[in-house]
Amino acid sequence: MAALIKARGEKRAVRRAGEAGRRVEYLAFVLAGETYAVQIAHVAEILRPPPITEVPRAPATMLGVISVRGKLVTVVDLRRRFHLPEAPIDRKTRILLGDLGKGEQLGLLVDEVQQVWRLAAEEIEAANVLGGEQPAHIAGIGRPADAAGATLILLELRPILEAP
Amino acid sequence: MVEGGGRGEGGDKARDEFLSEAQELVDGLGRDLLHLDEGLKKGRLDAELINDVFRAVHTLKGLSGLFGATRMAGLSHELEDVLDDLRLGRIELTSAVLDLLFQAVSLYGRILASESGETPDPVGEVEQLLVALGQFSQRRAGGGAGVVSQYDLDPGLLGVLTEYEEHRLRTNISQGQGLYRIRVRFSLSTIDSALDDLKAKARPHGEIITYLPTGSGADIDTIELEILMASRASVELLRSSITGPDVGIDEVRRRAAPSGIPDTPTPVPPDPPAHESLAPPTKVGGSLSPLARETGSVRMPAQLPPAPRQTPSIAPSPPQQRPGPSGPMAQELSLRSVSQTVRVDIRKLDRLMTVVGELAIVKTAIANLTERVRNRATDARELAIELARLNRTFDRHLAQMQSGILEVRMVPLGQAFDKLARVVRQISREHGKDVNLVVTGAETEIDKLIVEELSDPLMHMIRNAIDHGIEPRDDRLVVGKPPIGTIALNAFQKGNHVVIEVEDDGRGMDPAELLDAAVRRGIVTREEAGELRPHEVLALVFMPGFTTKEVATDLSGRGVGLDVAKTNIGKLGGIVDITSDVGIGTKMTITLPITLAIINVLLVEIGPRLFAVPLASVEEAIALDESQVRTVESREVLTVRGASLPICRLARLFGIPARSRERHRAFVVIAQVGNRRLGFVVDELVGQQDIVIKPLGKSLKNVRGFAGATELGDQRVALVIDVASLVDEVLLPAETRFLASAAEAGRS
Repeated sequence: MAALIKARGEKRAVRRAGEAGRRVEYLAFVLAGETYAVQIAHVAEILRPPPITEVPRAPATMLGVISVRGKLVTVVDLRRRFHLPEAPIDRKTRILLGDLGKGEQLGLLVDEVQQVWRLAAEEIEAANVLGGEQPAHIAGIGRPADAAGATLILLELRPILEAP
Repeated sequence: MVEGGGRGEGGDKARDEFLSEAQELVDGLGRDLLHLDEGLKKGRLDAELINDVFRAVHTLKGLSGLFGATRMAGLSHELEDVLDDLRLGRIELTSAVLDLLFQAVSLYGRILASESGETPDPVGEVEQLLVALGQFSQRRAGGGAGVVSQYDLDPGLLGVLTEYEEHRLRTNISQGQGLYRIRVRFSLSTIDSALDDLKAKARPHGEIITYLPTGSGADIDTIELEILMASRASVELLRSSITGPDVGIDEVRRRAAPSGIPDTPTPVPPDPPAHESLAPPTKVGGSLSPLARETGSVRMPAQLPPAPRQTPSIAPSPPQQRPGPSGPMAQELSLRSVSQTVRVDIRKLDRLMTVVGELAIVKTAIANLTERVRNRATDARELAIELARLNRTFDRHLAQMQSGILEVRMVPLGQAFDKLARVVRQISREHGKDVNLVVTGAETEIDKLIVEELSDPLMHMIRNAIDHGIEPRDDRLVVGKPPIGTIALNAFQKGNHVVIEVEDDGRGMDPAELLDAAVRRGIVTREEAGELRPHEVLALVFMPGFTTKEVATDLSGRGVGLDVAKTNIGKLGGIVDITSDVGIGTKMTITLPITLAIINVLLVEIGPRLFAVPLASVEEAIALDESQVRTVESREVLTVRGASLPICRLARLFGIPARSRERHRAFVVIAQVGNRRLGFVVDELVGQQDIVIKPLGKSLKNVRGFAGATELGDQRVALVIDVASLVDEVLLPAETRFLASAAEAGRS
């Protein structure tokens, strides 16, 4: 299996130059031990968490508000949103500023930001490989060819930003 | 102005400018129409005003053509035709015509809204209006032509009058002015100034209709003009005021009226547009046919028809129709303007620029200081002095900057009032009631955003006043009131607030009737009704679903309107109070902060967290004496100076762990909203501060109780408490019950 992946990887490396334009960049981050990734085009900024002001009586997924250069941004705890166990904010915690170009910008609290992956279409598997019904925010599984074994859960931000 | 090209690159910006300019033109148009309407009521017509309206529509046409706003261009084109006819007197200005014009103004507003992508394009309504306008321009009539023939005027002169001059001539004669022929000889070298001089002398006495060279008696250096002038003055007066060496003034005599010609102008009913152009030869004096040929419209000699005294224009059918559910009124019409633009006096911007320059200097000083600290070229004491100085300078300039920017945001309330005058006209006509709108304080300035948000609530209040307040004419006469109802719209500044009053002299609100209606609608129970105090009874009209009408009309009685108005004003940090005397009238008083941008707040601590309470609604803050707290019907009540004050423990409401009561003494912030008071229990008073309030994101819009948040400097954010909504929430559980059931009803 590993050999097979390696072989495919080499083939792809040859083609890569011609395909560079068609690859999509994903930003990988960690949430409760799993690696997730979102299209980097949808992330306006990565912030170290400032003090977050909790909003009483807001839904539990919304941690509170922060001020980003004079603009108020609601911060969503992705762990709570995905029903993962909670964890305290530490020095690796970051807030991704999710931005679809229109609608509201939202802060997404993640455990740790890793790196940027450039994925070609062949390196992305459809979400249904995980089983029949997947939540709308799972866009697929990323398997970067040049990092054998790495598995990225690709997130679609729209459903999260529209219904945090 | 908009730059040419428009839709290409930079199209968005140019388009915004187009929208803003068009909006301004439309607003101006509305104002002019109101003046015309006023004039019409007094039987006076300002020709210049019609010209203004014509020009505005013409500009709109050009502008919309440039930006491919075809619907708007089409409407403007048709309007232009009608206005041109009005201007030239081909049709007469009547209420029916004005109705169409007003309708056009409101359609312009909706087209603009659809151009900016806010609402669907009002295609159907525009088509309807175009049809109605088309009927007008087709059925133009040549009324009043006959009157000219009563005067002994040279047919040659009449033949060369422009259509506009001819119209002015007719109008002046119809108004009973005398006609004068002035012959003046001018020297060719000075004719320009001499003619102006003569015009200036003539102007106070009347209107110069035309002047023509006579072509006779002139030598090579002089020219003789014949001036046709209409005036009320006597020929002697004119002779004594329009003086000059070569001036001769004669009165144009009126012919002896042949039998059958009335003395007053007799308008002619519209003629079937079957035959064209050539007027039947007139029997009156044979002086008139050139006129008819020139305009190409059909003119009838005055004595032909039986001369009913009706206007020649049109039977006003379309505007009088009560629109059906699909008509323009059925959709909630909004007065909010599309444009987000503020026009700014360049001097204000210059001042701001200067301040920015000063701030740049401060920045440089700080940079220098930083450099010196880095090089250890300064000791701590020196540094402290220097920093304190810079801080003061910075503070001063920042304050200037703040007030400068606030000033830029300020616009006169008149912007909203102008549109309301249109609404008053429309609604009062639909109800067949005579209403006079009296506005004072239109110059009062308030934040642009507030003005925009105010239009709709004010509209609801005025609609309510006309529908429920002002009585029909006959009822008013019976109780000895003037037949025309009055709605007063007063605005004035009061400290940091602007107060707007909507006052009518109608029938007032009967508390018993209100209570009945409220019980019938299930808003309060019979028992609760018995306990309400007078001002609480009046406040029932702001409850969702409240109405005294059994049958809803298109306009009101649906039980929406006033509650929405109140909610929207609440969102602006404003409050509404209501007073009413049966038989005398009702007054609604809106109190608003001058600006939304900066508010003065009291910072309080609840548990470990900071919150801001707008001082505008804080009456006082006192230490909480737990021994004075009693529980009445599961609600805590504090006795303050012998009176009861319901209190609300914010820590409990917000689910924040409070500090222990033994070790810590809490405080009560007493808030007043309208007539209701509530004490908020907090752990600590931190202090007052001016803050810039920012809205919470859409994701939090369902969270009640907060007006927004503010940044406190050290990266921390404090939530600003929405006092009005919390007071409602705590004191009016009945309201929330009702809201919940209404929402459910709405879903099903």
